Amino acid sequence: MAERRLTVLVGGVLLWAAAILFTLVKLQVVHHRQYAAMARARQEMVVDIPAPRGSILDRTGAPLAMSVPVDTVHINPLKVDPVIAAGILSAKLHQDKNELYQRIVAARKNGRGYLVVARNLNWEQGDSLSRLPVDGIELDRQSQRHYPKGTLAAHVLGTVDFAGVGDAGVERTLDPYLRGTPGKEHVLTDVQHRGIETETAVPPKPGVPVTLTIDERLQFVAERELAAAVAAHGAASGSVVVMNPHTGEILALASYPVYDPNAPPEAANAPQRENHASSVPFEPGSVFKVITLSAALETTRLRPESIIDCGNGSITLFGRTIHEAHGGYGAMPMAQVLAKSSNVGAIRIGMTVGQQNMYEYMRRFGFGQKTGIPLPGESRGRLRPLSRWSKVSLASVSMGQEVSVTTVQLAQAAAVVANGGLLVHPRLVLKIGDQLANGDPPVRIIRPETAITMRQMMEGVVMPGGTGYPEARLEGYSVGGKTGSAQIFDTASHRYTHKYNGSFMGFAPLTNPAIVVVATLNGTYGNLGFGGRAAAPVFHAVAQEALRVLDVPKDLPEQAPVEQVAATKPAPGDLAIAELGSPEPNILEEESDQEGAAPLVEIGPKVPDFRGKNMRSVLAQAASMGLTVLPDGSGIARVQFPPAGATLHQGERIRVRFAR
Amino acid sequence: MSRHLAVRDIDWPLVLIALVLCAVGVLQIYSATLDTEFHSAWWRQILYVAGGWMLMLVIQEIDYHTLLQYVPGLYIGSVLALVATFGLGQSAFGSRRWIPLGPVHLQVSEFAKLVIILLVARYLTELRTEVLEIREMLKLAGLVLIPTVLVLKQPDLGTALTYLAVLVVGAFIAGLRWKYVAVITVVTVIVLPITWAFVLQDYQKTRWRSFIDPERDAQGSGYQLIQSQIAIGAGGMFGKGVTKGTQTQLRFLPVPHKDFIFSAFAEEHGFVGVVFVLALFFVMVMRIVQNGQTASDPVGMYICMGVAGLLLFHILVNVGMVAGAIPVTGIPLPFMSAGGSSIWSSFLALGLVNNVRLRRFVN
Repeated sequence: MAERRLTVLVGGVLLWAAAILFTLVKLQVVHHRQYAAMARARQEMVVDIPAPRGSILDRTGAPLAMSVPVDTVHINPLKVDPVIAAGILSAKLHQDKNELYQRIVAARKNGRGYLVVARNLNWEQGDSLSRLPVDGIELDRQSQRHYPKGTLAAHVLGTVDFAGVGDAGVERTLDPYLRGTPGKEHVLTDVQHRGIETETAVPPKPGVPVTLTIDERLQFVAERELAAAVAAHGAASGSVVVMNPHTGEILALASYPVYDPNAPPEAANAPQRENHASSVPFEPGSVFKVITLSAALETTRLRPESIIDCGNGSITLFGRTIHEAHGGYGAMPMAQVLAKSSNVGAIRIGMTVGQQNMYEYMRRFGFGQKTGIPLPGESRGRLRPLSRWSKVSLASVSMGQEVSVTTVQLAQAAAVVANGGLLVHPRLVLKIGDQLANGDPPVRIIRPETAITMRQMMEGVVMPGGTGYPEARLEGYSVGGKTGSAQIFDTASHRYTHKYNGSFMGFAPLTNPAIVVVATLNGTYGNLGFGGRAAAPVFHAVAQEALRVLDVPKDLPEQAPVEQVAATKPAPGDLAIAELGSPEPNILEEESDQEGAAPLVEIGPKVPDFRGKNMRSVLAQAASMGLTVLPDGSGIARVQFPPAGATLHQGERIRVRFAR
Repeated sequence: MSRHLAVRDIDWPLVLIALVLCAVGVLQIYSATLDTEFHSAWWRQILYVAGGWMLMLVIQEIDYHTLLQYVPGLYIGSVLALVATFGLGQSAFGSRRWIPLGPVHLQVSEFAKLVIILLVARYLTELRTEVLEIREMLKLAGLVLIPTVLVLKQPDLGTALTYLAVLVVGAFIAGLRWKYVAVITVVTVIVLPITWAFVLQDYQKTRWRSFIDPERDAQGSGYQLIQSQIAIGAGGMFGKGVTKGTQTQLRFLPVPHKDFIFSAFAEEHGFVGVVFVLALFFVMVMRIVQNGQTASDPVGMYICMGVAGLLLFHILVNVGMVAGAIPVTGIPLPFMSAGGSSIWSSFLALGLVNNVRLRRFVN
């Protein structure tokens, strides 16, 4: 009886045991791989190893932005003894022991297992804490962005956000290069996600250092001079751009007001963060006459010596009267229109050019389009399409109204004249890692002769009688430039105010310019706020220093500049004026200073008189003197530029028009 | 009667197997508690095993017939002690099972198992019938159910079920009529749903649910089972080696030195190790059954079969639980799981078997 029962019992038990054994076989033999994979998935965490961010260097290799490792010490308040931890940490970190103790106890009470004790430890502190044999005190190594030069080039460099991602400036636009590739680390974690063992699977690839075209010495001078001028003229903001006209390399880009990227203002749209050089367009005013005259040389028969009737100081077009800044000029050559910045003259020239050509050349010079400078939020300025031009638009744009531009765009346009007619897009990046960054190929937009002629005429601006004289003159270098003073248009009242955008764009040396410098001050007032008074001194200081730093050979004999009575001299007028109900007499009726046309000693061959000769003899004579002639037309030489007896600068060619 | 007692008459294969299992257990406890707050558990376990060995030697000296005379007292004492756990008991993991006794905490329910074995053995022997009548069966069931309910209320479902296992094995061998076996089966089938609805606590229901669908809530009630299955499955054929089991070392496996020691062992020693341990357990149970068959009287046989049934139930439920073949029921693996009460009651059970064996040649 009991035996049979026992057999049944054993049978049942064996069935049960078999079922369990079957389960074990299934787990350990059949599905082993699957369970091993599940175990790995739970135990292994793939963690990113942050890659150090690439440095940003100036063109000489001086660091402008770099990443430094910093340690953060945190503790697990639940695991440490508050008294011991507070004692050790307060001693190492020079913190108040009682206060730290209170913090730990408070965290314990709240059941918090994580408390940051101190951030940004210095190397010594981090090192001493990392060798601490106390459980529950841990160090986190993080990377912090550091801008060793403080505010220098802040608007170019930009900032990084809390996660170390660039959110402004080249930090943002070049982030893909600077960022690097984080490595991967397999961390064996326990059930509470604490790392037990780590194994580096993919080492981090550090970010690539980026070398900018910026020269920190020029950047410093530009910022210093800009800040000084803004303060001196009560301006609200300003910007300076220094550019190599041949390569487009931006040597300095300054914007005021400034901020320190090490401690940027909290608000992302803080006024200090605005980049006035590339992001804030303004009406250029008279500097734009360079475009008008270039278009005239290209598309009309007007030459520098062509006589323009500038009338008696005002011109009325379709019911709108436009005044000169300083009385009437009567009839004068086109070169003088530029030098004296005659509004009426510019308008007449613009009318000759016609709106189709005017628009075409504004586009060619890059206005209304982004320059492509690698800075976030670049403005394209405003250039109305032809279809939306009114009857007076042609007159307005001829003197730089109804159009808005950025300082960078002006530098790009000035470079066209400076380099002989090529549009070169401004560049900020010299090298990415060891790889030279290539700019866009230059595009010819005006004839070289036009550019040379413009340079000659722009020299007149800094010559006695010009609006940029004498502030924009340099010691030892010839200069070409243009002043501009645009009344600020108040969009609320739709009237032009008595505040100005005073600007100066110029280049030096004249014959083969090494630099283009554009300075703009926004919100100046009074006649000292004109471009010639406010912005030209910035140009002077920056250009002088830039030429010295760049070691550009002087092309004028070294001598003390012919000092004019600049301080007491009334302001040369270069103001583009429109819709001024009652012109302020102190600005508008002052006489331009005409005295003191001191002869300037020039070097170089004198231009012979070709007039009356045929083309063969002109070319033969020029060749014998080593000069280059650009013939135009056929027959007998009638007109030549530069005129006979003028000094020919190195590399400059003589245009000769032939006619029968 | 104890004239012929000799050391060589102890069932040496049985106790050696037990010691080998203990050694495996100690090694696994060492590995599983490395770098945890329980890291001293392995040498405590060695002390427990030594203590268990002494208890075994002591209890096999006392003639089991003498022991059976004390069953009423032992039974009443056990019930009172179980009641006392509700008053004095140390609460741990949400249940009151332990009575503090000097440096150790005794789990009364573990020792009550032995009393149940003796109770069932004496009761069934004194009937002296070929067939177990249902009336007698119900009386016995009533006696067993009192401590069972007390343990269930601690709450400790696993241990409570072991009492019923001893009862069922005893009653079956005692000749419960087949029709009653069938009736009990049917009643169980009908009673179980009612039990589900009105008796089981929420955590118990949750365990059943997580048995049926462990993937449903991986971090909740099904968590332990999934982690355990992963540990066993990840072990593969040959295991990862001592202290190399990542599920165990990284503490994904809950209580890897106690109820889930088999999973930890399976992860580190693989299927080969598992088969080795299960074979040892099988031989152990078989030797106990054999001792029962060679017992000199029915009461000795009942005692051995009770011990065999008890150990078998422990092994199958524990291994079945950690492998996911039956629901999660907190029950230790004899001789391997860390814990003094479990080790001592297991060695005491072996002592009872030796007790019977040493006295098999009467007359």
